[in-house]
Amino acid sequence: MSANLLEIRDLVIEFDTPTGRRRVVDGVTLELAEGEVLGILGESGSGKTMTTLSVLGLVAGRPGIVGGEIRLHDGTSTHALLEALPTVLRRRDDGPVRKDDRRWQRLVHRRMRPLWGRVATAVFQNPRQSLDPLMSIGEQLTESVRVAEPTLAKTEVRRRALEWLERVHMNDPARVFASYPHELSGGMCQRAMIAIALACQPRLLIADEPTTGLDSTVRAEIVALFRELMADRRRSMLYISHDIREVLHLADRVIVMRHGRVLETASSAALRDGIGTRAEYTASLLAASGLAVGQGDAA
Amino acid sequence: MGASTGRLGLWVSGCIVALVILAGLAAPMIPYDPVADVNLDGALAPPSGDHLFGTDAQGRDVAMRLLKGTEAFFLPGLMAAALATLFGAVAGAVAGYFQGPIRSAVLGVLQLLDTLPRLVFIILVCTILNPSILLIAFVAAILFIPANATVIRRKVEALASEDYILAHVAHGFRPARILVYHILWLQCRPLLIRQAMYVFGYVLFVETALAYLGDYGVQEPAPSWGNMVAQAKELFGIGAWPWLFPAVAIVITIASFLAFGNLVARRAEETR
Repeated sequence: MSANLLEIRDLVIEFDTPTGRRRVVDGVTLELAEGEVLGILGESGSGKTMTTLSVLGLVAGRPGIVGGEIRLHDGTSTHALLEALPTVLRRRDDGPVRKDDRRWQRLVHRRMRPLWGRVATAVFQNPRQSLDPLMSIGEQLTESVRVAEPTLAKTEVRRRALEWLERVHMNDPARVFASYPHELSGGMCQRAMIAIALACQPRLLIADEPTTGLDSTVRAEIVALFRELMADRRRSMLYISHDIREVLHLADRVIVMRHGRVLETASSAALRDGIGTRAEYTASLLAASGLAVGQGDAA
Repeated sequence: MGASTGRLGLWVSGCIVALVILAGLAAPMIPYDPVADVNLDGALAPPSGDHLFGTDAQGRDVAMRLLKGTEAFFLPGLMAAALATLFGAVAGAVAGYFQGPIRSAVLGVLQLLDTLPRLVFIILVCTILNPSILLIAFVAAILFIPANATVIRRKVEALASEDYILAHVAHGFRPARILVYHILWLQCRPLLIRQAMYVFGYVLFVETALAYLGDYGVQEPAPSWGNMVAQAKELFGIGAWPWLFPAVAIVITIASFLAFGNLVARRAEETR
């Protein structure tokens, strides 16, 4: 399977809470092919966000990742992101796994630094909070363009940045370029965010509930924009959502997660057309959205 | 406090700050010989057309000495503000953004410095070394580094978990650039201005306190606001003009620097 861009094997993420150790991701395995859009569907607390943040090395909280493998294939080279994990773990016979968090953070940063932006980046929920409030959209966008092509001349960088704003269908790119986040609507902020993320020209884009908190009409526009931007399949995308319709509209394949586990994997077509047998939870999601359930266990 | 009072305060304090800075810049260019200015016949004169703020016990023009007195604290204050702010920012940023042994080392040094009571330590340095006002300002700057570093560290720590800083990281912006430009320059600038203003005001305060307590800092006959106020000890009940104006100048200047710094920082916080 050399055409895979991303492979996650048996990922385990745990957090210490006041009531003890909690396992939020419990042995997740998934693959993402080059040019594929993979939807990750699940309710809040299902571990879908943590699974994808681990690909970027941005899992905050302790101890975080305590097991598994993540491989990112960047053209010719393969990056085993969790290669060094065993060296920071101490496993006792009794009690939970212990982790040297500081050393792990340092190792993660060293490993991820050349990959952030160029190989993988993310669009988060809450677009307004994901944009720097003290920088104009243009400034943030030009920085991204420079991540992709550091040697570009200044005027060319600006031209590219404006191009990206057009590509995400901003009405007045020049005005948006000079605007600050607080001057734009939530939907425009998310468009800007998408432009900023894509301007880094990543091979993998992670969209973590990018439509949460937006009006329903704006949500539809953002989903349509993602669909359009991914149409040429020049990059891969992990699209995380709790909205089954969005996921089915965008993704080639869908992974359904609950309680930190992958319940099932299916092609969007199969889910849409009600082909095959569905897990009970998936069936209930489909039914709740008024979609054909197929031969669900619940039916 | 309403927005309009805040704006008025910003203007008033800003004008006084600008005036003091202007005086500090202009003073070295104005020729003044404190010995030639002595005129015992015209001592302790009240304000008049000839002597705007009156004259002191030796008949020297108070207004002129007030202007020339800015030399005593202007350059030292500027230097101390720059040093304390720069090193405070660097130490705070390192302690707030990084993990591991460097952070622990920086925090340790800061804590050690923070245990020294500022004024007592400065007086101690003075009694041992009897240093120039420039060296006193340098010591004050070092003693102010922990306070500045703490302010910046708190801000940096709070910002590090912000979504947009995470987004900058995810987009592959260079860590040094995120820290220096995005966090320190864009976000912490108002705080840095405030801290610099504090330090500047503190140097003026120290100069005054030392001159009043004993023969430290700038020595007669060269004028300083501190040694002008110190004359009050001998002139109590005889004449108020020689020390009243410098005392008022000191209070207004320090208050204005603190207020201006506070208002700049608060405004930045509100417009965010």
